[in-house]
Amino acid sequence: MNDIFQCGDSAALVAYLYDECAPGEQALIDAHLKGCAVCASEIDGLRATRRTLAAWTPPEQALGFRVTREDEPRPAKILEPNIAWWRAPLPAWGQAAAALLIFGVGLAVGTSRTAPQDQTTAVRTASVLPASVTAVGASRDDLTQLEQRIRTELGQLRTSNTATPVAAARGSDDALIQRIKTMIDESAADERRAFTERMLNMADVIERQRRVDLAQIGNSMGQFRGATRDEIRQQNEAFSEALRRLVSDTPR
Amino acid sequence: MTTTDEELVARAQGGDIESFNQLIVRWERPIYALAYRVIGKEEDARDVCQDAFLRAYRALPGFKGQAKFSSWLYRIALNLCRDWIRRQRRAPVSQLPEDTDAMELASETGPAESIEDLVARRELSAIVEEAMSELSEEQRTAIILKEYHGMTFQEIADMQGCPLSTVKTRLYQGLSLLRRRLEQQGHMMPELVKRV
Repeated sequence: MNDIFQCGDSAALVAYLYDECAPGEQALIDAHLKGCAVCASEIDGLRATRRTLAAWTPPEQALGFRVTREDEPRPAKILEPNIAWWRAPLPAWGQAAAALLIFGVGLAVGTSRTAPQDQTTAVRTASVLPASVTAVGASRDDLTQLEQRIRTELGQLRTSNTATPVAAARGSDDALIQRIKTMIDESAADERRAFTERMLNMADVIERQRRVDLAQIGNSMGQFRGATRDEIRQQNEAFSEALRRLVSDTPR
Repeated sequence: MTTTDEELVARAQGGDIESFNQLIVRWERPIYALAYRVIGKEEDARDVCQDAFLRAYRALPGFKGQAKFSSWLYRIALNLCRDWIRRQRRAPVSQLPEDTDAMELASETGPAESIEDLVARRELSAIVEEAMSELSEEQRTAIILKEYHGMTFQEIADMQGCPLSTVKTRLYQGLSLLRRRLEQQGHMMPELVKRV
């Protein structure tokens, strides 16, 4: 490093910024900064940049790597078992059980919500309800089949779990989770289809009922109009008759 | 009394795996942080971190203590990061997830930090990360090693295999670029103490 600091020497300024100046250089730059607004501003700006950089923090990651011997039961050399229990990923059977629980709750909520609506619809539109509205029943069947499939998968996993090495088990876990995700997606798609069918059928029923109601109103209006016309005709005839009598009875 | 890295290394070289596991516990967070900041992807940084310890363990018999264990480990991790970047052949990109969950954020807050403060900190962190990604790999690595790992100029020069003056130039140019970028966006932290 130079014995004499030169104004604008970026290498010296960086060394000053990080307190890694050569002996004696620190005091030299200190003295320079008191009289040089440009270098002082440069140092201030770089310090502010450093403060801003401190905001960059990497996301929290559960690490907990460990080295294990080849002859130990776990085949992987580096694993991550030292994760706190509340942060550790659920095992496959746990995830499957959670999925079953969610499906069960969803099914119960769905049943309790849809049943009264169906009854109300049936009462109002019983005369015109088409026989093909069975989407709700089909969806439940799908869910039942899905539950059965998950139970089967779970059973297979349990039977194979004791003899499966960790790596292979992890692979089958991933496959199982993938299958469950696929089944959930399929189920969601079925639900959407069923809901759309229900909405279309309901719109059809309402439209038919509207037409029936309009026809009835039209008939009623026609009857009313006909009745009024007859009454007017009768009144006119009576008035004419009375007028004739009045004229004939009047003395000339 | 805390066992030194050198003692743990010696025991691990003698076949004591648990000593190496203690070294992992001691250094996995800094190595992960280095990998994340250099490559910018959580899962890949985790893989790099794991790979670094695996390689260090395999190469441990050949480690003669010429450098500090941590420097040797950092170098292994940095080489893996470089390999990753070459494979990717693109600048590291990492953003704050758009669907940031308020409950998840709330669980991360310390006792004195509100959710608003935490969100602001995360946003600033993402802004700094984006600005850093615009630097060259050499500038970025030099700043990361200096700012977040407290290495000396000489240690960075050894790590990057370049002269000390080059390290200073990389730091100065990188910081200047960052300063301009952050000032343009209005994200520079205000000066806390005025220089007298």
